Amino acid sequence: MTLGFVLIVLSGALYENWLTLIVVAMFLLAPLPNSLCGHTTSDDFMSDAPDLLADFGRFLTGFFLMSGVALPVVFAHVGLINTNAMLMSLAGGGIVYISLITFGTFFYESDEY
Amino acid sequence: MSLRIHLPEVSSATMRACGVYASGALYAAGFYLMLDTALWSAHKNPTDMHIGFVDWIPLVLVTLGMAIINLVERSRLTSGMAFGYEYGGHGTWQARVVLFVGTAFLSGGGAGSVLILLLRYIIPDRSRPEIFMGFFNILSSILIMNSSTCLWLAQNVKDDYSYSLQH
Repeated sequence: MTLGFVLIVLSGALYENWLTLIVVAMFLLAPLPNSLCGHTTSDDFMSDAPDLLADFGRFLTGFFLMSGVALPVVFAHVGLINTNAMLMSLAGGGIVYISLITFGTFFYESDEY
Repeated sequence: MSLRIHLPEVSSATMRACGVYASGALYAAGFYLMLDTALWSAHKNPTDMHIGFVDWIPLVLVTLGMAIINLVERSRLTSGMAFGYEYGGHGTWQARVVLFVGTAFLSGGGAGSVLILLLRYIIPDRSRPEIFMGFFNILSSILIMNSSTCLWLAQNVKDDYSYSLQH
Protein backbone atom coordinates (compact mmCIF):
# COMPACT_ATOMS: atom_id res chain seq x y z
CA MET A 1 0.00 0.00 0.00
CA THR A 2 2.82 2.36 0.87
CA LEU A 3 4.50 1.42 -2.37
CA GLY A 4 1.37 2.30 -4.22
CA PHE A 5 1.09 5.66 -2.55
CA VAL A 6 4.76 6.35 -3.14
CA LEU A 7 4.33 5.56 -6.82
CA ILE A 8 1.35 7.83 -7.17
CA VAL A 9 2.87 10.73 -5.25
CA LEU A 10 6.05 10.35 -7.27
CA SER A 11 4.09 10.36 -10.48
CA GLY A 12 2.73 13.69 -9.38
CA ALA A 13 5.89 15.12 -7.91
CA LEU A 14 8.37 14.17 -10.59
CA TYR A 15 6.48 16.01 -13.26
CA GLU A 16 5.12 18.86 -11.16
CA ASN A 17 1.61 17.87 -12.05
CA TRP A 18 -0.82 16.84 -9.40
CA LEU A 19 -3.68 15.61 -11.54
CA THR A 20 -2.67 12.05 -10.82
CA LEU A 21 -3.84 12.38 -7.25
CA ILE A 22 -7.41 12.06 -8.54
CA VAL A 23 -6.54 8.46 -9.34
CA VAL A 24 -5.88 7.79 -5.68
CA ALA A 25 -9.26 9.21 -4.85
CA MET A 26 -10.89 6.93 -7.42
CA PHE A 27 -9.18 3.78 -6.21
CA LEU A 28 -9.85 4.68 -2.60
CA LEU A 29 -13.49 5.32 -3.33
CA ALA A 30 -13.93 2.09 -5.27
CA PRO A 31 -14.42 -0.34 -2.35
CA LEU A 32 -16.56 2.12 -0.45
CA PRO A 33 -20.00 1.64 -2.06
CA ASN A 34 -19.93 -2.11 -1.61
CA SER A 35 -19.07 -1.86 2.04
CA LEU A 36 -21.74 0.75 2.57
CA CYS A 37 -24.50 -1.02 0.70
CA GLY A 38 -23.81 -4.33 2.32
CA HIS A 39 -23.77 -7.91 1.17
CA THR A 40 -27.24 -8.85 2.15
CA THR A 41 -28.43 -9.94 -1.27
CA SER A 42 -27.39 -13.47 -1.90
CA ASP A 43 -28.01 -14.90 1.52
CA ASP A 44 -31.47 -13.65 2.05
CA PHE A 45 -33.69 -16.59 1.40
CA MET A 46 -37.08 -15.10 1.79
CA SER A 47 -36.75 -11.76 0.10
CA ASP A 48 -38.43 -11.65 -3.22
CA ALA A 49 -37.36 -8.21 -4.34
CA PRO A 50 -33.85 -7.89 -5.66
CA ASP A 51 -31.63 -5.75 -3.52
CA LEU A 52 -31.42 -2.58 -5.53
CA LEU A 53 -29.16 -0.82 -3.07
CA ALA A 54 -26.50 -3.50 -3.35
CA ASP A 55 -26.76 -3.38 -7.10
CA PHE A 56 -26.31 0.35 -7.05
CA GLY A 57 -23.24 -0.09 -4.89
CA ARG A 58 -21.82 -2.59 -7.36
CA PHE A 59 -22.55 -0.28 -10.24
CA LEU A 60 -20.69 2.50 -8.48
CA THR A 61 -17.79 0.18 -7.75
CA GLY A 62 -17.50 -0.74 -11.40
CA PHE A 63 -17.71 2.92 -12.31
CA PHE A 64 -14.97 3.97 -9.91
CA LEU A 65 -12.66 1.16 -10.93
CA MET A 66 -13.03 1.99 -14.57
CA SER A 67 -12.49 5.65 -13.72
CA GLY A 68 -9.28 4.83 -11.92
CA VAL A 69 -8.02 3.08 -15.01
CA ALA A 70 -9.45 5.43 -17.57
CA LEU A 71 -8.54 8.79 -16.06
CA PRO A 72 -4.74 8.49 -16.31
CA VAL A 73 -5.09 7.15 -19.84
CA VAL A 74 -7.30 10.07 -20.76
CA PHE A 75 -4.94 12.58 -19.17
CA ALA A 76 -1.98 11.04 -20.92
CA HIS A 77 -3.74 10.94 -24.26
CA VAL A 78 -4.78 14.54 -23.96
CA GLY A 79 -1.28 15.53 -22.97
CA LEU A 80 -2.06 16.81 -19.52
CA ILE A 81 0.35 14.33 -17.96
CA ASN A 82 3.37 12.43 -19.11
CA THR A 83 3.17 8.82 -20.27
CA ASN A 84 5.54 7.77 -17.50
CA ALA A 85 3.35 9.52 -14.98
CA MET A 86 0.40 7.60 -16.38
CA LEU A 87 2.17 4.26 -15.99
CA MET A 88 3.26 5.08 -12.47
CA SER A 89 -0.11 6.23 -11.34
CA LEU A 90 -1.79 3.19 -12.91
CA ALA A 91 0.58 0.81 -11.15
CA GLY A 92 0.27 2.70 -7.90
CA GLY A 93 -3.50 2.77 -8.07
CA GLY A 94 -3.61 -0.93 -8.81
CA ILE A 95 -1.39 -1.71 -5.84
CA VAL A 96 -3.45 0.45 -3.52
CA TYR A 97 -6.68 -1.15 -4.67
CA ILE A 98 -5.38 -4.71 -4.45
CA SER A 99 -4.08 -4.12 -0.95
CA LEU A 100 -7.40 -2.64 0.10
CA ILE A 101 -9.29 -5.62 -1.28
CA THR A 102 -6.96 -8.09 0.39
CA PHE A 103 -7.36 -6.30 3.66
CA GLY A 104 -11.11 -6.38 3.18
CA THR A 105 -11.28 -10.10 2.53
CA PHE A 106 -9.06 -10.97 5.47
CA PHE A 107 -11.10 -8.73 7.70
CA TYR A 108 -14.32 -10.27 6.45
CA GLU A 109 -13.15 -13.84 6.99
CA SER A 110 -11.77 -13.22 10.44
CA ASP A 111 -15.05 -11.63 11.29
CA GLU A 112 -16.95 -14.67 10.20
CA TYR A 113 -14.96 -17.48 11.73
CA MET B 1 -25.17 -39.37 -23.04
CA SER B 2 -24.98 -35.88 -24.23
CA LEU B 3 -22.09 -34.08 -25.72
CA ARG B 4 -23.05 -30.74 -24.35
CA ILE B 5 -20.42 -28.48 -23.05
CA HIS B 6 -20.97 -28.04 -19.39
CA LEU B 7 -20.52 -24.51 -18.28
CA PRO B 8 -18.94 -24.16 -14.90
CA GLU B 9 -21.62 -23.80 -12.33
CA VAL B 10 -21.93 -20.18 -11.46
CA SER B 11 -24.51 -19.15 -8.98
CA SER B 12 -27.03 -16.65 -10.20
CA ALA B 13 -26.05 -14.15 -7.53
CA THR B 14 -22.47 -14.14 -8.79
CA MET B 15 -23.60 -13.72 -12.36
CA ARG B 16 -25.79 -10.88 -11.35
CA ALA B 17 -23.02 -9.15 -9.44
CA CYS B 18 -20.62 -9.53 -12.34
CA GLY B 19 -23.18 -8.13 -14.72
CA VAL B 20 -23.73 -5.09 -12.57
CA TYR B 21 -19.99 -4.50 -12.17
CA ALA B 22 -19.57 -4.79 -15.93
CA SER B 23 -22.39 -2.37 -16.45
CA GLY B 24 -20.75 0.21 -14.21
CA ALA B 25 -17.45 -0.28 -15.98
CA LEU B 26 -19.07 0.09 -19.41
CA TYR B 27 -20.80 3.24 -18.31
CA ALA B 28 -17.55 4.69 -17.07
CA ALA B 29 -15.86 3.72 -20.32
CA GLY B 30 -18.49 5.56 -22.33
CA PHE B 31 -18.31 8.60 -20.10
CA TYR B 32 -14.54 8.83 -20.15
CA LEU B 33 -14.42 8.32 -23.88
CA MET B 34 -16.59 11.39 -24.25
CA LEU B 35 -14.55 13.27 -21.65
CA ASP B 36 -11.41 12.32 -23.49
CA THR B 37 -12.86 13.65 -26.69
CA ALA B 38 -13.81 16.92 -25.08
CA LEU B 39 -10.43 17.35 -23.39
CA TRP B 40 -8.66 16.50 -26.61
CA SER B 41 -10.75 19.07 -28.37
CA ALA B 42 -9.80 21.67 -25.80
CA HIS B 43 -6.09 20.91 -25.46
CA LYS B 44 -4.63 19.25 -28.48
CA ASN B 45 -6.98 20.15 -31.25
CA PRO B 46 -5.16 21.50 -34.29
CA THR B 47 -8.37 22.71 -35.90
CA ASP B 48 -10.98 25.27 -35.02
CA MET B 49 -13.65 22.64 -34.53
CA HIS B 50 -14.50 22.25 -30.89
CA ILE B 51 -16.74 20.14 -28.76
CA GLY B 52 -19.66 22.24 -27.71
CA PHE B 53 -22.76 21.74 -25.70
CA VAL B 54 -24.49 19.99 -28.58
CA ASP B 55 -22.01 17.15 -28.50
CA TRP B 56 -22.91 16.33 -24.94
CA ILE B 57 -26.64 16.05 -25.58
CA PRO B 58 -26.58 12.39 -26.76
CA LEU B 59 -24.67 11.41 -23.66
CA VAL B 60 -27.18 13.16 -21.44
CA LEU B 61 -30.10 11.58 -23.31
CA VAL B 62 -28.64 8.11 -23.11
CA THR B 63 -27.90 8.50 -19.42
CA LEU B 64 -31.44 9.69 -18.77
CA GLY B 65 -32.84 6.76 -20.71
CA MET B 66 -30.69 4.35 -18.76
CA ALA B 67 -31.84 5.81 -15.46
CA ILE B 68 -35.49 5.68 -16.49
CA ILE B 69 -35.29 2.12 -17.76
CA ASN B 70 -33.61 0.82 -14.68
CA LEU B 71 -35.95 2.60 -12.32
CA VAL B 72 -38.91 0.62 -13.64
CA GLU B 73 -40.00 -1.99 -11.21
CA ARG B 74 -39.61 -5.36 -12.88
CA SER B 75 -42.55 -7.06 -11.29
CA ARG B 76 -44.90 -4.44 -12.65
CA LEU B 77 -44.09 -5.26 -16.23
CA THR B 78 -45.67 -8.63 -16.50
CA SER B 79 -49.19 -9.35 -15.55
CA GLY B 80 -51.15 -12.49 -15.82
CA MET B 81 -52.06 -15.56 -13.96
CA ALA B 82 -49.63 -17.55 -11.91
CA PHE B 83 -50.51 -20.23 -9.42
CA GLY B 84 -54.09 -19.26 -9.75
CA TYR B 85 -53.55 -15.70 -8.65
CA GLU B 86 -53.71 -12.71 -10.85
CA TYR B 87 -50.73 -10.52 -10.22
CA GLY B 88 -49.52 -7.16 -11.38
CA GLY B 89 -52.99 -5.93 -12.18
CA HIS B 90 -52.80 -2.21 -11.77
CA GLY B 91 -49.88 -0.12 -12.82
CA THR B 92 -48.80 -2.48 -15.53
CA TRP B 93 -49.40 -0.24 -18.45
CA GLN B 94 -47.90 2.75 -16.66
CA ALA B 95 -44.74 0.76 -16.12
CA ARG B 96 -44.72 -0.19 -19.77
CA VAL B 97 -45.16 3.42 -20.83
CA VAL B 98 -42.27 4.46 -18.61
CA LEU B 99 -40.16 1.69 -20.08
CA PHE B 100 -41.08 2.84 -23.55
CA VAL B 101 -40.11 6.41 -22.73
CA GLY B 102 -36.80 5.20 -21.35
CA THR B 103 -36.12 3.21 -24.49
CA ALA B 104 -37.05 6.23 -26.56
CA PHE B 105 -34.50 8.33 -24.66
CA LEU B 106 -31.88 5.64 -25.13
CA SER B 107 -32.37 5.24 -28.84
CA GLY B 108 -32.86 8.97 -29.22
CA GLY B 109 -29.43 9.52 -27.74
CA GLY B 110 -27.91 6.99 -30.09
CA ALA B 111 -29.65 8.48 -33.11
CA GLY B 112 -28.62 11.92 -31.90
CA SER B 113 -24.97 10.99 -31.86
CA VAL B 114 -25.23 9.64 -35.40
CA LEU B 115 -26.98 12.85 -36.40
CA ILE B 116 -24.21 14.93 -34.85
CA LEU B 117 -21.64 12.97 -36.78
CA LEU B 118 -23.55 13.55 -39.99
CA LEU B 119 -24.55 17.14 -39.52
CA ARG B 120 -21.48 18.55 -37.84
CA TYR B 121 -18.69 16.50 -39.30
CA ILE B 122 -19.57 14.68 -42.48
CA ILE B 123 -21.78 17.14 -44.30
CA PRO B 124 -19.44 20.13 -43.73
CA ASP B 125 -16.75 17.84 -45.11
CA ARG B 126 -14.49 17.70 -42.12
CA SER B 127 -11.45 15.51 -42.47
CA ARG B 128 -9.18 13.33 -40.42
CA PRO B 129 -8.36 14.55 -36.97
CA GLU B 130 -11.62 16.11 -35.97
CA ILE B 131 -14.03 13.65 -37.55
CA PHE B 132 -12.99 11.21 -34.85
CA MET B 133 -14.80 13.39 -32.36
CA GLY B 134 -18.03 12.42 -34.06
CA PHE B 135 -17.14 8.75 -34.14
CA PHE B 136 -16.12 8.75 -30.49
CA ASN B 137 -19.40 10.40 -29.68
CA ILE B 138 -21.26 7.50 -31.29
CA LEU B 139 -19.00 5.00 -29.62
CA SER B 140 -19.58 6.47 -26.20
CA SER B 141 -23.34 6.37 -26.56
CA ILE B 142 -23.10 2.79 -27.80
CA LEU B 143 -21.04 1.92 -24.73
CA ILE B 144 -23.58 3.45 -22.42
CA MET B 145 -26.42 1.66 -24.21
CA ASN B 146 -24.54 -1.59 -23.74
CA SER B 147 -24.07 -0.74 -20.11
CA SER B 148 -27.79 -0.25 -19.76
CA THR B 149 -28.53 -3.55 -21.47
CA CYS B 150 -26.02 -5.27 -19.26
CA LEU B 151 -27.61 -3.87 -16.14
CA TRP B 152 -31.06 -4.90 -17.32
CA LEU B 153 -29.96 -8.43 -18.16
CA ALA B 154 -28.07 -8.79 -14.93
CA GLN B 155 -31.06 -7.77 -12.92
CA ASN B 156 -33.26 -10.16 -14.83
CA VAL B 157 -31.11 -13.16 -14.05
CA LYS B 158 -33.36 -15.56 -12.29
CA ASP B 159 -32.47 -15.23 -8.70
CA ASP B 160 -34.66 -17.96 -7.47
CA TYR B 161 -33.16 -21.27 -6.61
CA SER B 162 -33.66 -22.99 -9.91
CA TYR B 163 -30.74 -25.08 -10.97
CA SER B 164 -31.88 -25.30 -14.54
CA LEU B 165 -29.89 -22.42 -15.93
CA GLN B 166 -28.14 -24.54 -18.50
CA HIS B 167 -31.22 -26.02 -20.09
